[in-house]
Amino acid sequence: MLMDSTRAQDAMQRVLIDVIDVKKSYVTNLVTTPVLHGVNFSMQRGEFVAIMGQSGSGKSTLMNILGCLDTPSDGEYRLDGKQVSALSRAQLAVLRNKTIGFVFQSFNLLKRMTIQDNVALPLIYAGVSRAEARRRASQQLENVGLGEYGQRQPNQLSGGQQQRVAIARALVADPPLVLADEPTGNLDTKTSVEIMSLLTRLNREAKQSIILVTHEPDVAAYASRLVRLKDGLVLYDGPAATGLQQMRTEQLEQELGMPASEVSE
Amino acid sequence: MKFGHIFAEAFRAMLANPLRTMLTMLGIIIGIASVVLMLAIGDGIKKFIDKQLAVLGSNLILVQSDTRKSPGARARTGTTQTLTIDDAEAINRLSSVAGAVPVLNTFSQIAYGNTNANAQVQGTTSATFVIRNLRLGAGIGLSEVDVTSASRVAVLGKKIAEELFYKNDPIGQSIRIDNQSFQVIGVLDNEGQSFDMGDVGQIVLVPISTARVSLVRMQTPRSVAYIVAQSKTAEGVNEMVRDIEEVLRDRHRIRADDPDDFRVVNFGEIAKQGEAIGKGLAFALGFIGAVSLVVGGIGIMNIMLVSVTERTREIGIRMAIGARPSDVLWQFLIEAIAICLVSGIVGIAISMGLAAAVNATGMFELTVGVRAILIATLFSGFIGVFFGFYPARRASKLQPVECLRYE
Repeated sequence: MLMDSTRAQDAMQRVLIDVIDVKKSYVTNLVTTPVLHGVNFSMQRGEFVAIMGQSGSGKSTLMNILGCLDTPSDGEYRLDGKQVSALSRAQLAVLRNKTIGFVFQSFNLLKRMTIQDNVALPLIYAGVSRAEARRRASQQLENVGLGEYGQRQPNQLSGGQQQRVAIARALVADPPLVLADEPTGNLDTKTSVEIMSLLTRLNREAKQSIILVTHEPDVAAYASRLVRLKDGLVLYDGPAATGLQQMRTEQLEQELGMPASEVSE
Repeated sequence: MKFGHIFAEAFRAMLANPLRTMLTMLGIIIGIASVVLMLAIGDGIKKFIDKQLAVLGSNLILVQSDTRKSPGARARTGTTQTLTIDDAEAINRLSSVAGAVPVLNTFSQIAYGNTNANAQVQGTTSATFVIRNLRLGAGIGLSEVDVTSASRVAVLGKKIAEELFYKNDPIGQSIRIDNQSFQVIGVLDNEGQSFDMGDVGQIVLVPISTARVSLVRMQTPRSVAYIVAQSKTAEGVNEMVRDIEEVLRDRHRIRADDPDDFRVVNFGEIAKQGEAIGKGLAFALGFIGAVSLVVGGIGIMNIMLVSVTERTREIGIRMAIGARPSDVLWQFLIEAIAICLVSGIVGIAISMGLAAAVNATGMFELTVGVRAILIATLFSGFIGVFFGFYPARRASKLQPVECLRYE
């Protein structure tokens, strides 16, 4: 009995994300457009999950909900043990600040601030003193290999460097989850590999939980688990390698207009 | 998020677009400068009048002789002398009067050794020292005995004493007024302008009896040019004027339906008129200031709304990494307040510069006081809050998802 409850508690602590039958619809001009039709998805701490889907699949909507930037119309979303749908805008902001580190496609650094201040900003919003925030920001910049660049302005850095700054900013408050939305979308292939290697290293070495939203199979291949969305529902949820293989097969079938098994015969 | 940090960010945002910030600030700068100058002018006029009153004594009136309204040409005021020393004494005995002095004026040459100067010589009585707040820097003033015995003594103004004697002690020296010998018994300490003496520093006071005998020719022996009287209290001035009119009409045997042969000039009234002009000027400036502040405030609101739209994406990024709606509200509100406070400081500086320029001319003294600075600062801060609140609130209500999508 005692063992059971500890195990249950253990399991609870291992679960980072629990999405139960989440629905989302948008209302514009009295027309209701459903986007998510009931998504179920859960994630353990330390996992590296890629979310894929074509445009219109509800991928961005799900990402916004997972990132606590938006709330579900129906269903339940639990993040780090907290029921998200019940929170106010201010509480959501605090939850984002403490729990999620964002990495965006277009880097989204603040132009007028130095690199160091950009990285320190989440700590400033968390109420950390400026000196301490800057110290931790510098440390984080060292970790992503940009220790020298603290006093520069964002526009003095290359795209790859800016994205590494964004990763440093995402990590500075030590959040349980990093949410990367098309992190390589604006980068060339070589730089993309660097960024993905950095994220993979973080997952392997620091057991950082990462959700990666992408439409590129090459990028999704860095993740260990793949969730595919189609028309607001989960189409596939399993190991990344298997899922990507299945995707390639589907694509081939579509191009040839017949099942792949028949082709091989 | 700490206020120091928000202020630092506000200044960074202001410097990001310096020309636009400066143009936005202009309305508030003009408004605050006008308000501060308004307060300075109000204070300056009050101080000027207080100083005048302190020089000439407070609650004073002047009784001049006025021509009778007889058929034919009306002579200029003061050209016929209807007032006498006895009138002055009668006025002095009234219960509402603190003191009354008869005056005879002449402009004469004053000489000491081989230096000479021209000055106004005023023949009067000892009471003039009391009712006009005259202080002695050296020696003694005129006494009752000097007046009754028509002694040839004189009390000199500060400047004329310096002019004639330089650094020597004038007390006991003999000077000549219109070539008649007078002994200097005292030197005044007062400075400034008086309503009927001109520059107090340039005056020479002698007993009225001596003046009449030796310096001034009058139509009748007991005539005086005018009488200065002081009431016992500030509220009693009007009552005193009525009493004086009554006693003079009685003494001059004027019938009930005939006009007065004298005129009463109330200096309090003149001072009040000056104050009213000052208030009018201050009000006009205040109005300009208020209009300018409202227009400036609207300008700030406008620019803040533009700024919120321009920085939609920035707001989205900030919200994503943990800025609460209240953090965003404070950021924009403090930016608006910072613009207003800086404008306020510039406005105060400009008004101080203008005040210094006016003071340099020496005609009028303008002081930008702590009160004016405090009022201006609070006012500019208030404008920032009032006109900055709506844009800041709008920024705080933005949805992070939509902001991040904004290009």
